Amino acid sequence: MDMKRAYYEDIELFKSGTILFWTIVLLVALFTLPLISSNYYLYLFNLIMVHVILAVGLNILVGSTGQISLGHAGFFAIGAYATVLLMTKLSIPFFPALILAAFIAAFFGFILGLPALRLEGPYLTIATLAFGLAIMHIIGHTEIFGGRSGLRAPELNIGIPQFGWNFSLTTDLSKYYLILIITIGMVLAAINILKTKVGRAFVAIRDSDIAAEVIGINLTIYKTLSFAVSAFYAGIAGGLFAFVLGFFDPVTFNMFLSIYFLVMIVVGGLGSIMGSITGAAFITYLMYALFKNIRDVPYLGEFLVNISQRWLSITGMDNLSAIALGLVMIGIMIFEPMGFFGVWIRIKKYWKTWPF
Amino acid sequence: MDAKRGMGVMLFCFLAVLLLAWPVQAATERGFDDKEIRIAAWGPQTGPAAPWGAVARGSKLMFDIVNEEGGIHGRKVKFFVRDDQYNPSQTVAAVKELTERHGIFAFVGGVGTACCQSVYQILLDNKIIWISPCSGARSFWDPHNPYLWNIWVTYEDDSSILTKFAVEKKKFKKIAMLYQNDDYGLDALDSVKYRLSKYKMELLTALPVEPTERDLSSQVAKLKASGAEAVIGYCSPTQAAIALRTSVSTGFRPQWFHSYNLSDYPLMNKITDGLWSKEGVITSGFFVPPDADHPLIKKYRAAQEKMAPTERWGIFYQAGLVVAEPLVEAMKRAGRNLSTAAVKKELDSLTDFQGVGPKITWTATNHKAPKSVQIWQAGPNGELIVLQDWTVNEISRH
Repeated sequence: MDMKRAYYEDIELFKSGTILFWTIVLLVALFTLPLISSNYYLYLFNLIMVHVILAVGLNILVGSTGQISLGHAGFFAIGAYATVLLMTKLSIPFFPALILAAFIAAFFGFILGLPALRLEGPYLTIATLAFGLAIMHIIGHTEIFGGRSGLRAPELNIGIPQFGWNFSLTTDLSKYYLILIITIGMVLAAINILKTKVGRAFVAIRDSDIAAEVIGINLTIYKTLSFAVSAFYAGIAGGLFAFVLGFFDPVTFNMFLSIYFLVMIVVGGLGSIMGSITGAAFITYLMYALFKNIRDVPYLGEFLVNISQRWLSITGMDNLSAIALGLVMIGIMIFEPMGFFGVWIRIKKYWKTWPF
Repeated sequence: MDAKRGMGVMLFCFLAVLLLAWPVQAATERGFDDKEIRIAAWGPQTGPAAPWGAVARGSKLMFDIVNEEGGIHGRKVKFFVRDDQYNPSQTVAAVKELTERHGIFAFVGGVGTACCQSVYQILLDNKIIWISPCSGARSFWDPHNPYLWNIWVTYEDDSSILTKFAVEKKKFKKIAMLYQNDDYGLDALDSVKYRLSKYKMELLTALPVEPTERDLSSQVAKLKASGAEAVIGYCSPTQAAIALRTSVSTGFRPQWFHSYNLSDYPLMNKITDGLWSKEGVITSGFFVPPDADHPLIKKYRAAQEKMAPTERWGIFYQAGLVVAEPLVEAMKRAGRNLSTAAVKKELDSLTDFQGVGPKITWTATNHKAPKSVQIWQAGPNGELIVLQDWTVNEISRH
C-alpha cells in the first residue's frame, strides 16, 4: 500500500515526519513512565519487554522465514541459565555473559536449524517441541544447573567487578531502564535485519523455498541462520528474564510458555515487528494481570464469586482469565487473521481514503 | 497521509498505555487500619497443580470464622487469594500487586517450593510476616529469616521417624527405597541411610524416579528382585499410585511407607481404586487426623459445611487452617495496638501452641518447623488408623 519509489525510501527508518514525531513521543513516554508507576507495573513492563525481545526474534523465524518453532522456551531457558551460570561460576561481567549466553542459544538454534532443512510444517513443529522439552529435562537432571530445585540469579551488577567498578541494579526501576535500552536496540536491529540481503532472503524462503533456491539463495545457510538469529533473541530475552524474576527452575520454561510465545506473534501479526511488540504486550497483560483481582472489585466481584460457586466450581473464578485469553485468540483468528498488524493496516487505510 | 488523523490514532494508543500504567492508590504501609487487617495467600487455583490450591481456600475458611466471631480486637480480616498457576513469575506478579496495591500485613501458606523461593526476598525486604511455605525445603530456615516462620516438618525428620518405626516397631530387616530425584527425595534418601546406619543396617536398594516419569515397571521389577519386605517411597501422589498398582499387578506386595505429603487417604484411594487401603499403606502425618474426634476439627468442619459446602474436607484444605492458626493466635495476643513488631514478638514466644497441626514452639532466633510426626495407616475400610502418636526425631541433624 505504501508505494516506494527508491531503494533509500525503503530502508529509511522513519517513513515520514509524523512517524518520527510519534516515535519520539513514545520513547519519551517510555522513559518517563516509571515516574508514575508502582513497582508492580514496572515488573509487568519488564516482563512485557522481555517478551517483546523474544517475540521479535520468533517473528523473524516464523513470520519472515516461514519456519515454525514450539521450542523457544528452550532457547529462553538456555539464555537464562547460561547468563546466570557464566556470571556466578566463571565471574564473567553481566554484558559479556549476556551476549555469550545469547550466542550459546544461537548455536543451539543453528543445531536445531539443521533438521529444519528437511522438515516442514507439523514435522518441524514436533522436532522443535521435542527440543524444548529435552532442554527442560536436561537442565532438571544436571546438578550444575541447579537441578529441579532451581537457581537464584545473583545481584545484577552491570559494571566490571574485576576492575573494582561496580554498578548494581537492585530495583525494578533500574532494571526497567536497562531492559528498555536493550529492547530498543534489539527491535532496531530486527527492523534493519529484515531490510538487508539476509532479511530479504528469509522472506523469499517463506514465500517459496524452491523459487528462492533457484534465484541463488543458499537454503542451508539461510534457514539455519534464521534459527540462530531467532535463538539469539530468545537468549538475550532469557538472560534478562533471569534477573527480572530472580529465581527460576526448569518447570518455569515449560511447553506452555513456547505456545504462549507463538500466540503472541500470531495475535500481533506474523511477519511484522510492530505486531510482535503489540502482541507480546497484549498477551503478557492478559496472562499476568487481566481479571486477576476481579474478586476484589466492589459488588461485581462478590456477584461473580457467588455465581461461580453456585453453578460452576469453587475455583471457577480463576479460570476467567484463561477463558478470556482463549476467547480473544479465537476472536482475532476469526475476525482479523493478520492480528493487530492487520487491524492497524485497516485503520491506516480507512483514514487515508477518508471520507471515501 | 492525513497527519492529524494519524496523530489522533497514535494519541489514543498513547493514552491507553498511560491508563494501563496509572498509579494505583497509595496503599497503607502497615497492611491494616482501624477496621480491617489485610492478609493474603497465593496458590494454584487453575492448571495441573490446582488440587493444592485448596490450601489457600482453607486459610480463607479460618478468616471467615474469625470474622464471624467478630474479628480480632474489633478489626475484620480481609483475605486475598491469588491464582499463580504454580508459576514463579505469576507468584512474583501476584505478591507485588497485593503488597503495593492493597498493602498486606501477613501472608499465610504458599504452595510450590520454586514459587515460594521466587518471592522470598521480596517479602523479607518488605518485612512482611509469612507463616510457613508448604514445603520442607532447607532454604526457608537456613539462614534464619526473622519474618518467616516454618511449620512444615523437614523431609529429613519425617523420613527418619518413618524408618525408625519400620525398623523398631515393624521389625523389618530388608528395606528398600523409591525416591524422587530432586531435593524432596534426596533429602529423605540421605536421612534414611543415616537412620539405618544407627542400627548397622543398609538399604537393599534405592531407586530414583524422575518427577515426570509415568512408567515405573522397571523400578518395581528391581524392587521385587531385591526381595524387599518394606519400601519407603518419597515420590508424588501420582507416582506412588502407579508404583502401587504396578507392584500389586506383578504380585510384589511389600509394606509401603510414604511421606506426609501422601496422607490424604480418600484422594489416594480414589487414584489407586482402593488399593491404598487394601494394602494398608503407612504414611506419616503431622496434622491432627482430619476425621479425629477433636473439638477444633469439629468446629472447623461445622464451619466448612456452613460457609463452604462445596469444598472437600481433606489434608490440603486443613493445611490452610494450620498455617493460619498461629497468626490468628498471635494477633489476638498482640491486642488492639497492632503492629508487625507486636505480632512478631508474640509469634516468637509461641510455646507448645497446637491447633489442628503439630505442636509449635518458636523463639526469636529459631523459626524452624517442629521435628515430630505421627504414624498413620490406611485402614481396610478407608479409615485412618493412628499407629503411633507424636514422635520426635531424636537424631535430627539441624
